[in-house]
Amino acid sequence: MKLNLKRFLALALSACMLLSATACGSSEQGSTSGEYKTELNIAINANPPSLDVPAVNSNIVGGIGMHIYEPLFALNQDAQPTAVLAESYEVSSDGKTYTIKIREGVKFHNGQELTADDVVASMTRWLEKSSKAAPLLGGSTFAKVDDHTITMTMPEAYSDALSVLAGNIQWAAIMPASVVEAATEEGISEYIGTGPYKLAEWKQDQYVHLTKYDEYQQPEGESSGFTGKKEAATKDLYFRIVTDSTTRVAGVQTGEYDIVEGVSSEQYADLTTDENVALYTKTAGTLNLFFNTTVGIMANEGVRDAIMMALNCDEISLGAYGDENLYVVNPGWCNPADAQWGTEAGSEVYNKGDAEGAKKAAAAAGYKGEEIVLVTTPDYPEMYNATLVVSQQLIEAGFNAVVKESDFATFMERRADVNQFSLFITSNSYNLSPVQLAVVGQAWAGLDAPEVAEGLSAIRLAASAEDSRAAWEDLQSFLYEYGAACVLGHYSGVIASGAEVEGFNYFNFPVYWNVKVPA
Amino acid sequence: MLSYILKRILSLIPTLFIVSIVVFLVVYMIPGGPATAILGMEATADEIAALNAELGFDRPFLVQYADWLGGVFQGDWGQSYFLDMSVLEAINEYFWPTLSLAIFAELISLLLSIPLGIIAAYKRGTVADIATVSVSLLGIALPGFLLSMFLMLFFGVTLKWLPVAGYAPLSKGLLTHLRYLVLPALSLGLVQAAYITRMTRSSMLDVLYMNYIRTARAKGLKEAVVVLVYGLKNAAPTVLTVIGQSFGSLVTGTIVTESIFNIPGLGQLTMSAITRRDVFVIQGVVLFITLIYVLVNLAVDIFYGIVDPRIQLGRK
Repeated sequence: MKLNLKRFLALALSACMLLSATACGSSEQGSTSGEYKTELNIAINANPPSLDVPAVNSNIVGGIGMHIYEPLFALNQDAQPTAVLAESYEVSSDGKTYTIKIREGVKFHNGQELTADDVVASMTRWLEKSSKAAPLLGGSTFAKVDDHTITMTMPEAYSDALSVLAGNIQWAAIMPASVVEAATEEGISEYIGTGPYKLAEWKQDQYVHLTKYDEYQQPEGESSGFTGKKEAATKDLYFRIVTDSTTRVAGVQTGEYDIVEGVSSEQYADLTTDENVALYTKTAGTLNLFFNTTVGIMANEGVRDAIMMALNCDEISLGAYGDENLYVVNPGWCNPADAQWGTEAGSEVYNKGDAEGAKKAAAAAGYKGEEIVLVTTPDYPEMYNATLVVSQQLIEAGFNAVVKESDFATFMERRADVNQFSLFITSNSYNLSPVQLAVVGQAWAGLDAPEVAEGLSAIRLAASAEDSRAAWEDLQSFLYEYGAACVLGHYSGVIASGAEVEGFNYFNFPVYWNVKVPA
Repeated sequence: MLSYILKRILSLIPTLFIVSIVVFLVVYMIPGGPATAILGMEATADEIAALNAELGFDRPFLVQYADWLGGVFQGDWGQSYFLDMSVLEAINEYFWPTLSLAIFAELISLLLSIPLGIIAAYKRGTVADIATVSVSLLGIALPGFLLSMFLMLFFGVTLKWLPVAGYAPLSKGLLTHLRYLVLPALSLGLVQAAYITRMTRSSMLDVLYMNYIRTARAKGLKEAVVVLVYGLKNAAPTVLTVIGQSFGSLVTGTIVTESIFNIPGLGQLTMSAITRRDVFVIQGVVLFITLIYVLVNLAVDIFYGIVDPRIQLGRK
């Protein structure tokens, strides 16, 4: 018996030693060549549902797609629309027609040269598919003039047309006409663009591998935001799908991943003390509370105003994000730093946190303890935590608040049906123009007030930028006074990289061209 | 024996049918369709409804189910809405990482648990026995995700001996393959080892004090032969059952471990298919897992007959 035991132990130890030796072997990820690595490993938090940029509203799709496709115009670092595939443009005297010249000599990843046919097909599909384009440029048409010139004809002289073309949500990616024509309702089946990287392999739920496009034609100018020089400084980009945030962060600490997206607020605090890790933050959007304005007790504006009075946005944002460095409380629906659209209009009814006042206002409005249903999903912790804090604040103000939680898909179905919710919270990325905001769309939370349509029209058809801004300030004030919705806070996205990573730019999406990592 | 195996396999059909109809019904009844996941957060209700209709998700339950069932009989388990492959291709792709992980974890657990269980039973009441029982109790009580995190932080982040996450297929070389599997396999294997150790110990205790063991010793046989041949062989049916259950649960229940260590296996496929409402994948994976579980149990039953000829399968 003893002899056998010794044999067994020897065998087990040998196995352990073999595994340890294996463990110290060469790394699977992170090939190097010369001074810099030839592989950049980026951990992202979800498998992209597709790489069909115009059709899918997803930051992951838009962010990866930005490396594969290019638009006619994109935003530079100062958020100014700048030509990328376009060479120049002219506007007709009535402001309704844009004539756009396309750069010559640009080739798609399949070797085919970019022509006006590709642009017309792509832009027409973009207008049809993109929820950000259709409401703004609906009724517009794109037509070919010659092989490298197109026109965009709009029903009205929209002052923000160029900004819409350069927008970065469900943006206007240019792809070959053949790909567009072969697209079904479910989307395109080939991912071919003109960008600095081409799709090499997409291993579902594991990684999206992009590789340098050797024949890439650089746009003019220095690198700036999504425009100018785009050098594929690292040959291969691997977007590795790592759903667990702890694993992503552990991966950047060990060098397994060079850059990780979606760092949570808890991990942010831990990483600030790690000198081997660099952190990048950027205010990226708003956490919003939407009111049912049409059904039951919520149709009563006085009750909505009372709820608004009860909200303490500082407490709610702290509950949602856990670290004061990661949010800003401001009533604006657009980025407060945006000179054109950032405004605090409506602040007189904002962030009052007055439970007693709310109780009295609710009683005066005829509230008699009806159930206030907050629908939410734990799949998005910041939305869920904020909902719990709001519910507590409402209970303290005498409301009969009830939280109904479910998985994301169920939540989306509930929030789309005005008979199933009183309030819900979502986080939404910034939009280029207030006209694109979910809050002003009737489909989002059922808001049906003529003032909204009038306000949108005033913004778009204003004679000057100042008039347009004034119209938006009026509309934002109306949204608060009417009790349509409330911005609870502006959140920051957090990205972490190894301290040695060079050239990384966290613009509206993380930009991975120009990034290199010393070997 | 052969007729017994055939009967067991035939009995699978009603089981799989009931499982398939229940799963299809559950998925049908929960709100939200694949369009929600495809179109993202800001999709409007109309856009979601239009895509769900395009995908055929708005049809009555029986029509959808009959359509799917008809396909299954023709070898078509449906198409994933997300993965750009058929359900069978998806199962084939995601099954192998899970199988590798399960085999490696089972080997770790057996290497630890069988010797420890035998020693604990043989040295009943000693410090070795008490220590083994205590540690295995702790192992059973320890949540798998906590052990996973601990292993990842200690061996991955602190010591940097092993990768914290990821997977390398066998085609990249056996050593690289194993390197990525060590931590998740340890995490799963240690928990399973705790359970198997307890069961090995108690089944060995049942036989070690029986008369035939005393007789074997009286014959002058070596102690190792008495314990390992006469003792272990008679304790084997119970131990085999536990190993079968353990292996079945390893193949079918690794969702948490696969998520933490980012292994693209069946667990991750199940999780993401449910989140995305990828109906046919959910259906296919559940059927496949049911099949695996039943087959593992059948294999265990067959092994009974091999290790203990007194057990004759199918005979009354």
